[in-house]
Amino acid sequence: MATIQTNVLPKSYTLPSISNASIAGPSTRRLLPVGRALVSHLRLTIHHGHSFEAHDAHLEKERQKLEELQNSSGNGDDDLGVGDEPESAELLALDPKEWKKHDYYAVLGLSHLRYKATAEQIKIAHRKKVLKHHPDKKVTSTAPQSTSSLLSGVNLNTNDDAFFKCISKAHEVLTHPEKRRQYDSVDHELMDSQEDDPTPTTFSKSKKGLTDQEFFKTFNPIFERESRFSRKQPVPMLGDIDSSKEHVEGFYDFWYNFDSWRSFEWLDKEINEGSDNRDDKRYTEKKNKTERARRKKEDIARLRQLVDLTLSLDPRIKRIKQQEKEAREAKKAAKSAPASGAVTPQKSKAQEEAEKAKKEEEEKAAKADAKKAKAAAANAAKKARRAARAAEEGGAAS
Amino acid sequence: MASSTQNGSADPSTEVSNLPDVVGINFGNSFASIAVFTKDGQAECIANEDGERQIACALSFFGEEMYIGSPAKAQLVKNSKNTIVGFRNHLGLKFSEISQSQSTTSAPIIQHPDIPDEPAYKVAILHPAPAPLPKSTTGTPAASSAPTPRSEPIPGERILTVSEVTTIFLKSLLQSAEDFLGKRVQGAVITVPPNFTDTQKDALEKAATDAGIKVYQLLEEPAAVAAVTTAEVWSSTLPADRTQLIVDVGSSSLSLSLLALREGLAHVLASTSLNSTGGDAIDAKLITFFATEFTKKTKTPLTVCSENPSTADARAEAKLRLAVEHTKRTVSASPGAATCSVESLKGGVDFTGTINRLRFDMLVRPIYDSIARSVSELLASANVDAHQVDEIVYVGGTTCLPGLDEHICLAGGFSDDINTPFSMGTVIGGGIGDPTTVLARGCALQAALIASLTDEDEELRKAFERGSELLEVNTISKTLGLVFPDDSGNEIGGTWIPLVPFGTTLPARRTATFDIGLSEESKRFAFELWEITESIQVEKIIPPKEETSDADDEEDEEEEDVEVKHKTITKESLLGAAEAEAALGIQVKGPSKDAGKWTTTVQATLVVTASGALELSVAEIGKDGVVVTVNVAAQQ
Repeated sequence: MATIQTNVLPKSYTLPSISNASIAGPSTRRLLPVGRALVSHLRLTIHHGHSFEAHDAHLEKERQKLEELQNSSGNGDDDLGVGDEPESAELLALDPKEWKKHDYYAVLGLSHLRYKATAEQIKIAHRKKVLKHHPDKKVTSTAPQSTSSLLSGVNLNTNDDAFFKCISKAHEVLTHPEKRRQYDSVDHELMDSQEDDPTPTTFSKSKKGLTDQEFFKTFNPIFERESRFSRKQPVPMLGDIDSSKEHVEGFYDFWYNFDSWRSFEWLDKEINEGSDNRDDKRYTEKKNKTERARRKKEDIARLRQLVDLTLSLDPRIKRIKQQEKEAREAKKAAKSAPASGAVTPQKSKAQEEAEKAKKEEEEKAAKADAKKAKAAAANAAKKARRAARAAEEGGAAS
Repeated sequence: MASSTQNGSADPSTEVSNLPDVVGINFGNSFASIAVFTKDGQAECIANEDGERQIACALSFFGEEMYIGSPAKAQLVKNSKNTIVGFRNHLGLKFSEISQSQSTTSAPIIQHPDIPDEPAYKVAILHPAPAPLPKSTTGTPAASSAPTPRSEPIPGERILTVSEVTTIFLKSLLQSAEDFLGKRVQGAVITVPPNFTDTQKDALEKAATDAGIKVYQLLEEPAAVAAVTTAEVWSSTLPADRTQLIVDVGSSSLSLSLLALREGLAHVLASTSLNSTGGDAIDAKLITFFATEFTKKTKTPLTVCSENPSTADARAEAKLRLAVEHTKRTVSASPGAATCSVESLKGGVDFTGTINRLRFDMLVRPIYDSIARSVSELLASANVDAHQVDEIVYVGGTTCLPGLDEHICLAGGFSDDINTPFSMGTVIGGGIGDPTTVLARGCALQAALIASLTDEDEELRKAFERGSELLEVNTISKTLGLVFPDDSGNEIGGTWIPLVPFGTTLPARRTATFDIGLSEESKRFAFELWEITESIQVEKIIPPKEETSDADDEEDEEEEDVEVKHKTITKESLLGAAEAEAALGIQVKGPSKDAGKWTTTVQATLVVTASGALELSVAEIGKDGVVVTVNVAAQQ
């Protein structure tokens, strides 16, 4: 590496004595205002006070930042954060005939994004999977393992393109906006997590209230999950213990009037297309329709119940009520202490009264709201029960 | 049916494209070029809609149409009075400052009718016909007392100031760049010639702003070249510290700059510009050549490039001028015959002529000579010997001619191993050293650099403003280095290891790695820190007899001695010295001729602080290596 090599020092050499030497005076030049080196030089002189150590430290920091940036964006290629997911054996063994039951996001390797995946990401993910699983590739990559000369050249694994079919199906569904909406409505992961949702009985059984932390830990993810169905975006979130009164009220207001796009066509029974019987078809169609409506109703009721439960357990509601009460008492105390009231004229009194009236009205309204909501929820539940019964009977009758 | 928001709207995790959306514009008097960043992260000169990388700075009006670029230049033949060329150099000048002497075939510059002392161009145009009457809704024509509007365009004239012409032209360049990138351009760096005054620069900046370009910086042409040559892509083999000569041959001017590059920092040692030499002179020679050929072949008299414009065949000359453009490019590209064909050159007679590279070089020798002479004069004025120049960089289409490169290298007296884009092989095929695109690419690089500055570097942006004081720096005036004494008895008494070359901006830090020879019995080594000056020693040798001159007859003086130049070093002052025992000496093993020698590898780092104090450390590479430091105080 070192290209220069010096000769051996003569033995007779003695160090010369140096008498206070220094380099010749500098000359002034004007640099051309170009180049990365100039920026470095200016940083060195302006930011780092001519100190090479400080500059080196800065450069090192910059380099690390750059490295992090490169690492975060994957291996150079910009795949919009699709990444590579390991494919389990079950996933690869999926039966394309059972396509309705597949987890399409897992098939495309997007389980970490799910409903958040953008069209662009789906496209990239699909391309990646196709490159890996295309039947054309399989034939060459899996050489015949059979030692029998009779079977050589014959592709033994006839099920080779099964997973490719699954990929195609997943791509077809996820790139079609309507189909994707239907699929997202009944996403496996979502259904699973909904089963674990707390019901009023969960907490009444234990007979002890949740701590504040537990409350937020339980309900925050639930509302985050449900927010995807809102037609209105962005959706107000639960917030935290210190959220303002306006935020809390806004939150409940939004969720009691939740406008959901969720629908249940995906769970429809197959219409037997081959059948010539028109009546048969119509019957199934009708049943599917009622089933969809029932499910939708159930879903609304479920959400309503969830919000009710949250409201009843929300520690902030208690706090807000407490604060209001305190404010009222403070006012009362102020009224009953006329000594201090001498300075504050009647105007403030009138104000207080107005405020009080307003608050009372608000509370009344809130109470009425809650009552109405409960009634509605009960109603919905009743109806749902009735519908279920009817459906059962219908099923039995047919 | 479902809207796109229904499935959530996750933001993409990263930007879709991270190409810097900046453009570099080389705005010359005759040609312009634009460069942007392409997908592979390189600055590339791009073609406009006409497929031209060299976009002619011309604007032509014909009827209702406006032509920009090469189509406009072609109008010089038939529609020369409505064609505007060469407007860049008039930018920011007053009418009284523009010399009216040169006769042009293009639209003449006139006094603006309304604004005092403002140069302008007058062109004849057709205003578009007014729109026909609006159709009545009932279907039957409404009775109207108004006269029927004219359905033909109305002839008129348009007065354009130089600034307006520039704005129109720059807008078309910007449009081409945006079409290529597919997004809005955030900012641009534009070249200016070094002789532009501040008023002219202001005028250019204003014209660019009017065209919708955010100008990051107006970059002088040598600086734009330095932006490319200091970039890593330029060359991996050239030393970081070098003296560079920039030869910029425009169509009407020649500008030469001698730069000192010191690890990416560049400053001008000397520069000069001439308005007499350039590509136009070569055109004139070629046109005259082909005109004579035409007369010889067809017996049709043809006068071109004459002093008296009334006798010249202006149209034939314009046609030839367009045609030789192509001839020149062919000569640059291949040594074979280059054709020049013009249909109906004069009197309905077509012309096809050829010229090969040798003939071409002979023809334009006077221009080559004048360029080479200017180079020699510049070097003499800067007190730099031709052998001290490490690299020549060419700018402009004319410098694509290999004959010019050969002539400059030979006549300028440069050393044989000088680096030029031709010797490095970077001219052909749009390489990095392509003289026609280097300016635009430099601007694009610079624009990307300025765009990448973050908010914390706000102060640094000031350096890119005009006349910034941040660029005034102190440089060391003499080269510093180490001498490792030995018995070799050469002029400096040892091995010379240069560390900081003269002209390096302070503060500076340089590192060198090398092997030190040790003797077997004692591992002692010593070194001295010297300040030196480099010079060129000329030795005269009488050439061998058989080397008769195969130079051209035109060269009058026959040199009897061949001058051989050596680089020499003169010690100026001793700054420090130290000695130590090496701890990590190793013996070279194996069959090589160095076997049995003892060596150790050291790294020498010399820091010159802003005040001029020196901090030298020589350290053995490896664990537990010996470290020697020498400090020299700054001048009192």
